[in-house]
Amino acid sequence: MNKDIEEQIKKTVIARLEVLPQDKKMSIGASGEFSRDELIEKVKLGDPIGKKMIQIELDFLRSLKKGII
Amino acid sequence: MKKILITRPEHDDTTHYLSNWCKKVIEVIDAKGIKLFDLHRDKANKAEVASIIEKQCPGLIIFNGHGDDNCVTGDKNEPLIESGNNESLLKDKITYAVSCRSAKLLGPKSVAAGAKAYIGYDDDFVFVYSPDKITKPFLDESAKMFLEPSNELIISLIKGNSAEESHRRSQEFFKDRMKRLLSSESTPEESSMARYLWWDMVHQVCLGDQKAIFGDE
Repeated sequence: MNKDIEEQIKKTVIARLEVLPQDKKMSIGASGEFSRDELIEKVKLGDPIGKKMIQIELDFLRSLKKGII
Repeated sequence: MKKILITRPEHDDTTHYLSNWCKKVIEVIDAKGIKLFDLHRDKANKAEVASIIEKQCPGLIIFNGHGDDNCVTGDKNEPLIESGNNESLLKDKITYAVSCRSAKLLGPKSVAAGAKAYIGYDDDFVFVYSPDKITKPFLDESAKMFLEPSNELIISLIKGNSAEESHRRSQEFFKDRMKRLLSSESTPEESSMARYLWWDMVHQVCLGDQKAIFGDE
């Protein structure tokens, strides 16, 4: 993926995660439980959990575009 | 007599929530007079699971816990059922695994080994929760959004609906919750959770005999 596009997607995902309440956590199966700020950090780092967050966001946006939701 | 096996490990936040929310299902099972084998905490181990399946032959098995493409796990993440090892234990049974990714490989292999139906998730099952509600998980409205649609599937199976119909009802529950989150009445914080509900919904799959009914064995 083009580096600029990748960075833009990361920014979008981070902006979405920033809306999540700070007092919530997310369970991502065997990978563990993460706070909003931990998830944002993982997206910035591009680790497997960060990539999962990006995948969820992109798949969701595609489904909105296709009118599935 | 109808029999159900449930595993409920409880060694971390995720399993704590799954285990406690499953109590709502247990209430329905008890009310219906169905024989329940409830493997809670350290009893959710491989030996106990194999023993109950072999000796009691439950028609419906519910796994709450972690997992990966090839297995579902119990207490302290001990693999309970692994593809290439003991998936034949699920032969002639309907299984619902509230765990990550097990429907990707373990599910199809179980069906190939004779399982009637395998319902589960072919990617990570995610949910949002409030850590300050951990001692009262039923009061956690965020977790409820995710775990009620999952419970609905089990309750539907218990009521005698087919695997396909139970999967469909759970999907409808997910959609209903998503619509509520995306409505103008929701706060931006609530709306932000819709994408994770959607993820669970699209990754819940029903494999095997779509017409399989609990109690028909």
